Amino acid sequence: MDLFDLSGKHALVTGATGPLQRSVVLALAEAGCDVSVTTVTDQLDEEVQANSILNECWSIGRQGEALTINLTDEAAIEEAIISLEERIAPVDILVNMPHQVPIVPFLKTDAAAESQAFSTNVAAVMIPTRIIGHRMVQRGVGRVVNLASIIHDRGVPNCSLYAATQGAIVGFTKSLGIEWIRSGVTVNALALGFYEELAGPQSDSRLRAALEQYIPLRRLGRSDDIQGALIYLVSDEAAFVTSELLVVDGAISVHA
Amino acid sequence: MSILDKFDLSGHTAIVTGAGSNLGREMAIALAEAGADIIGVGRRILPLEETGELVRTIGRRYFVRSTDVTDSSQVNAMVADAIKEFGTIEILVNNAGGGGAGHGKQLPELTDEDWHDGIDTNLTSAFFCSRAIIQHFLDQNYGRIINITSGLGYRAARQQFMYPISKGGVIQLTKALAISYARENIRVTCIAPGRFPHNLTTDIERYADRQPAGRYGRLEEIGPMTVFLASEAADYISGETILIDGGAIAAGIVPAGMAPKIDEVR
Repeated sequence: MDLFDLSGKHALVTGATGPLQRSVVLALAEAGCDVSVTTVTDQLDEEVQANSILNECWSIGRQGEALTINLTDEAAIEEAIISLEERIAPVDILVNMPHQVPIVPFLKTDAAAESQAFSTNVAAVMIPTRIIGHRMVQRGVGRVVNLASIIHDRGVPNCSLYAATQGAIVGFTKSLGIEWIRSGVTVNALALGFYEELAGPQSDSRLRAALEQYIPLRRLGRSDDIQGALIYLVSDEAAFVTSELLVVDGAISVHA
Repeated sequence: MSILDKFDLSGHTAIVTGAGSNLGREMAIALAEAGADIIGVGRRILPLEETGELVRTIGRRYFVRSTDVTDSSQVNAMVADAIKEFGTIEILVNNAGGGGAGHGKQLPELTDEDWHDGIDTNLTSAFFCSRAIIQHFLDQNYGRIINITSGLGYRAARQQFMYPISKGGVIQLTKALAISYARENIRVTCIAPGRFPHNLTTDIERYADRQPAGRYGRLEEIGPMTVFLASEAADYISGETILIDGGAIAAGIVPAGMAPKIDEVR
């Protein structure tokens, strides 16, 4: 099918070594896109993961590179993007996927924890978006998709810090989408519910069993479940969709 | 299997209400291009037949059924005939709707009939069609329903009553159906289009700059989202309403005209 074909485009997926991120990278590659990824550290296990993801992309004929950069280091990102543009192509699609799930009672948090959570979940999205988005706006074309959680819209104990970072991502997405819509760049978010591959109450087997009863679709999300929504949002066909939060959660957030 | 194959609707059959014009026609064509056979439903046969010609040109089967979707006996007969004709139906698109007879009147002038007409056209019609098909979906343990609401399903406008109220109801109908039948592999979603004028007069065009995107939606933009939501690629999405409005609801209508122009952004 030609619909949603991404041939000839170059995507960058940040924070790319988890299972959800892997699923997104492979979907982009299957849809025809060259895909580059970033890893946060140069530790061996992360590098092995990134290379294994890229190997799968290369095996179906796509190009792409793994960059090891601190996503809050502006100078390092700028430099990495310039060299990526030279070796592969400008970035048409940015998928921001750094995502930590701090679950901790608020009274046990401190200023350092706040700073760390906002650095990982928010600054590491905003800073690369500014550097790459600057180029997208100049070129008059681009897609930005941010990973978020439905928790931004719900009260959950011990999640105040996590939820605050997700609220920040949603607010960022909505305003930036409007700011850039006339430049041909859309900004959207994918909001996830409870997923096998994400940290959260589902890590506890008792709570997991309760969740499986409570989620209307009767199962946790799996990394493959976000592929379709992601491909739709980054496609040419979604040019009129911006500032939108696309919820992929097995209907749990519409339940009373 | 590539991710792009998950958007394929080959072997599926879709009922599209209001298929004779505008967004309904576009959705019918997009579903047909993705592989689905179509039952085109509406009151007037001629425009439905025009949609049918386009669908048949793509190589899909098309069955036209003149139906007043606010009349439950006609709706039940239409669904029964469609199942008889195609064997199975997998997709229902509840698109029929409109301003209704009371559009443009002030509250004191609205009659009981205006109220019922406005609510029936947009909300009762989707309820009747969903109710009529649900047993078939349950029997086959599969079904996809896509409702169509509007930005006015979220917000209000001066002296507009039946349209925003019924469109808000469509968003709630989506949630109610999704939660009621989630366990039976029936997914229900809703599309909220922004302004998609079907005949751009200069008068309408003049106001395009008030949209955050600086333009209105193009009819052909509605089809791909419909295909996505009807397809396997959206299997973990249900109960959701998704906006396709160039940011209009995120921005709000009035300050939308203040969206920065390209030169101000760079």
